[in-house]
Amino acid sequence: MNDLSNLSWSEARDLLRTWRDDNDRRSEEVLQLWKSVLEYNLNKLGGEKFSVLEQVCLAALDCYQIPTVDYCIKQLSNEFPSSLRVKKYYAMRLEAQECYDDALTVLDSLIKKDETNNAPRKRKISILRAQGKNVEAIKELTEYLKIFMSDIEGWQELSDLYIAEQDYNKAAFCVEELILHNPHNHLLHQRYADIRYTQGGYDNVELARGYYCQALKLNQNNLRALYGVYLTSSSIAASPKCTAQKKKEMLKLVDWALLEIKKRYSVVKDTFTDNNIEERLSVLQIS
Amino acid sequence: MPPSIFHRLILTAGFLSLFHAAYSAAQHRSYLRLNELEFTSLPLDILIQGVTSLFVVMYGVLYIAGDFKEIKASAELENKTWETYRNIPSFYTFNHRGKAFSPQYVQMNSKLQIEEIE
Repeated sequence: MNDLSNLSWSEARDLLRTWRDDNDRRSEEVLQLWKSVLEYNLNKLGGEKFSVLEQVCLAALDCYQIPTVDYCIKQLSNEFPSSLRVKKYYAMRLEAQECYDDALTVLDSLIKKDETNNAPRKRKISILRAQGKNVEAIKELTEYLKIFMSDIEGWQELSDLYIAEQDYNKAAFCVEELILHNPHNHLLHQRYADIRYTQGGYDNVELARGYYCQALKLNQNNLRALYGVYLTSSSIAASPKCTAQKKKEMLKLVDWALLEIKKRYSVVKDTFTDNNIEERLSVLQIS
Repeated sequence: MPPSIFHRLILTAGFLSLFHAAYSAAQHRSYLRLNELEFTSLPLDILIQGVTSLFVVMYGVLYIAGDFKEIKASAELENKTWETYRNIPSFYTFNHRGKAFSPQYVQMNSKLQIEEIE
């Protein structure tokens, strides 16, 4: 944390840019960078100034630093006086202060002004979620997805909400939709498999195994998928529904996955001499 | 890798040479027209110059245009984790413990408590 304050303004800008692109939620660090370096060098940033201001505004909302939020909103609205995007930040400020009703009035007026703008609608859903009204949030979000069907973020949020409500089938459907949008993303395959494995049952675990394998195929460094392959295939092998032929295959897969996991560990740590990995993995298993 | 001066020079030289070849070709055509000769093909030296400078330009561009992207579609996602992928800024909620660490929030809280006591 301490070396963050010693960065030059261009290093700080680059760091913020990577965090912004990666969607890293490092609000405290962003604020620290802002206060130590960027606040005094804001005009050096050129065209990136406003993206940085937005990022800092979000971070400040996260950490409840209202003066910083006000400063950012003021800077932004000086530049873009009639922008709905900036007005959204007013609503978010109210939201952080837990004035949800006022925030909703602002958001409703924003939606009225521009029906096609999806950002305020998303904020309305987040407000419901912040209030703990998950069921209503789901309802609102499904309505939203009827209008904006190709919104990946919406589908992802909906799957999270369904998981929070333990409705795994519907959550899995949302992730399926995400996979359709982005079939090369190993994380989505892994997520789908996670959900199916959590559901349990022979068929679901079988499905999960397939998706873990696909995730692994897309990215060989995905250790979680490797663990997933191990856990699912050993649970299939142990299931009474499994035929002898299949059991043999599964046991082979188990051996392979274990070997791979051990290899990964030995690369990281040459002195890895732990032979109990099997025992420790079995603790993770759902029986 | 940032483009080095050496590669920039190569690219400039390549382009100059390419333009020179083009100019020479145009000159050759006008020479033929003035002498009322029939056009068969370009002289060998212009041809060689043109082709060589094309390769020189290609070499320079390869180093200046920036790094190549991986051909695999999933290559960019290789180092991403679920933790950053699942994080969606437009659905952030602020109703979490982050507030408790802020000095301003404590003030508000204690104000509420004071009001309650009153």
